[in-house]
Amino acid sequence: MSSVSDAGHTRRSVHLERRLHVEPRRAALVRLLGVATALLIAGVFLQVTGRSAFALAGEVIRSTFGQRRGLEETAVIATPILLDAIAVAIALRMRIWNIGAEGQFYIGAWAAAGIGIHFNLPTPLLLLMMAGAGVIGGALWILVPAIARAHWNVNEIITTLLLNFVAVTWVEWFSIDIWRDKQAAVIQATPLVNARLPGLFGSTTLHAGFLLPLALAVVAWFVFRNTRWGFEVDMIGGNPRAAEFAGINVRRRIVTVMLISGAIAGLSGMVHLAGAAGRLQGTISNSYGFSGFIVAALAGGSFVGLVAGGLFIALLLHSGILLQTAGLSIYIVLAIYGLVLVGIAVAGGRSSLAGPPGETLP
Amino acid sequence: MKLNIFLAALRTAIDAGTVVVLAGMGELLTERVGVLNLGQEGLIGIGAVAAVIVSDGASSPWVALLAGMLAAGILGLLFATSVVIVRTNQVLTGLAVVLVGVGLSNQLGNNYQGSPVEHTFAPLRIPILADIPQVGPALFDHTLIVYISYLVLPTVVAILLFRTRHGMNLRAVGENPAAADAAGVNVAGMRLLYTTIGAALSGAGGAFLMLVFTPVWSVNVARGRGWVALAVVIFAAWRPSLLVFGALLFGAMISLGFIAQEQNWGIPSFVLAMLPYLVTLALIIIPSALARFGFKVRSSVAPGALAIPYFREER
Repeated sequence: MSSVSDAGHTRRSVHLERRLHVEPRRAALVRLLGVATALLIAGVFLQVTGRSAFALAGEVIRSTFGQRRGLEETAVIATPILLDAIAVAIALRMRIWNIGAEGQFYIGAWAAAGIGIHFNLPTPLLLLMMAGAGVIGGALWILVPAIARAHWNVNEIITTLLLNFVAVTWVEWFSIDIWRDKQAAVIQATPLVNARLPGLFGSTTLHAGFLLPLALAVVAWFVFRNTRWGFEVDMIGGNPRAAEFAGINVRRRIVTVMLISGAIAGLSGMVHLAGAAGRLQGTISNSYGFSGFIVAALAGGSFVGLVAGGLFIALLLHSGILLQTAGLSIYIVLAIYGLVLVGIAVAGGRSSLAGPPGETLP
Repeated sequence: MKLNIFLAALRTAIDAGTVVVLAGMGELLTERVGVLNLGQEGLIGIGAVAAVIVSDGASSPWVALLAGMLAAGILGLLFATSVVIVRTNQVLTGLAVVLVGVGLSNQLGNNYQGSPVEHTFAPLRIPILADIPQVGPALFDHTLIVYISYLVLPTVVAILLFRTRHGMNLRAVGENPAAADAAGVNVAGMRLLYTTIGAALSGAGGAFLMLVFTPVWSVNVARGRGWVALAVVIFAAWRPSLLVFGALLFGAMISLGFIAQEQNWGIPSFVLAMLPYLVTLALIIIPSALARFGFKVRSSVAPGALAIPYFREER
């Protein structure tokens, strides 16, 4: 995808040539190169700090691909990451940066837990209510940043991010204090929710929620490829003023898209709660929201690339959890994310992510 | 001498706000040359961890402070090179700085978890003024870094920006790089310089956390203060004097949390922990909302070329 606002000029810098049109295949290749470079740097870092990068890589591959359990665990991690990535990607189509997916995930999980521990209804009905609560929770959590961005031109990056800190504290409050499971003295979490997502292929690890992001990615791909609504969102992303002239109510569309983004991130919290975690606690998200953001950036607005990128990042996160046993902290994965992001920015950032954030209406 | 609640709160607020003044002033300079560095959270983390590590063997906290500034400055220079020379997307690259900074500092700080920092800054009592009953200890019994952050730094930055030719060039680079370029200003050089200086200031903020405010390493040491600093720059409309005010307001919210717990006001600690972020959110939303509803609010317009890479032939 080439950016609309870039069309028409040939621009050159002294040493680096600016590419205005990047073929999809080339963009994908360049992204892969960026990722490979990031992993290489991480490997060198590990080697320098006295650990064998090859031995660790071998360990990761063995324990992930070598057994069914490893693959299933990766898929379970991939589920919320993919949902958050879709949430971020939809907003990114409009060049809106929802960095608050992490917070919306927390609030979605919180709202779903509220329903799931206080009601005792038939499983399908309860699951549906929990999903509804998650969707509404996530959407409400982004409501203020959405209105502020659309109507008052307040930078959404900072507002959505600040709310992450509030969301985490909010969930801690409920899981440590208000809804705490009094029977289980050891864990600081709420009781188990009364409805859980069924297993997939008879698995006890992998749950049906894994199908949801795959289906949603197809829907999103279809909407942005074939519908007027999707086209209009892309148009606003390209040039909001032109879109306004074309008769699109840009402000209202910004609010709608951000609410959808928040709703999907909230849903991912519900799915992770009902599918994997079972109870709400302060550490329910393993940086899934941020991982989703990286995936969306990696995919650069493509929903097909998003699924591939999501599985890859889930693998990375799963390895990070494994690496903890090798005396490394999970934080090294964060640093690797950062390097991946630099790789994307250097290599492929020109395509649909090019340009400054939030071009605004007068 | 026991301070009354208000003055004790003011004392803590000043200390708590110092990080935001330092990181915010760094970001203000960076944004004034047209570069958006979202990496504050990571830069504070790197500054803090470098200070902790170096302070372990060093004899003076000044060495640790310099180490913090240097480490964050290096990361800032890498960021600046990427966005100014390679012209990568500033949002993506800035977020990469957050992730690399937070991840790396947590990894490196792992071994220092829970052990107190050995050499910290001692308060510098200002003679006579500090002897004023009540007010004296609240205002004039801080470390040297606090005085520098609240008095020297804003003054120097304000004079630099608004009273010197160099400052005019600096602002021109942020407002209209093509015009500045035509007038013979070195746009790339200016941007590299002030982005690096800005990052070093954020590093000083991180080092301050470790050497004065809470001298013991803990995971995710910045706790969102980097994001608060970014918000306060917007609230301050890119002006050094207002930035100090915004930082103090944030400090006051942190301080309120301490006081409320100490005095047993019965407000849940979780609510108090959320408050600083909610107030910061309000700080950036309310002025813009008021302006939209027709109230006369000081104009808060970002530098014209903020976050836009400069290509020379683009006129």
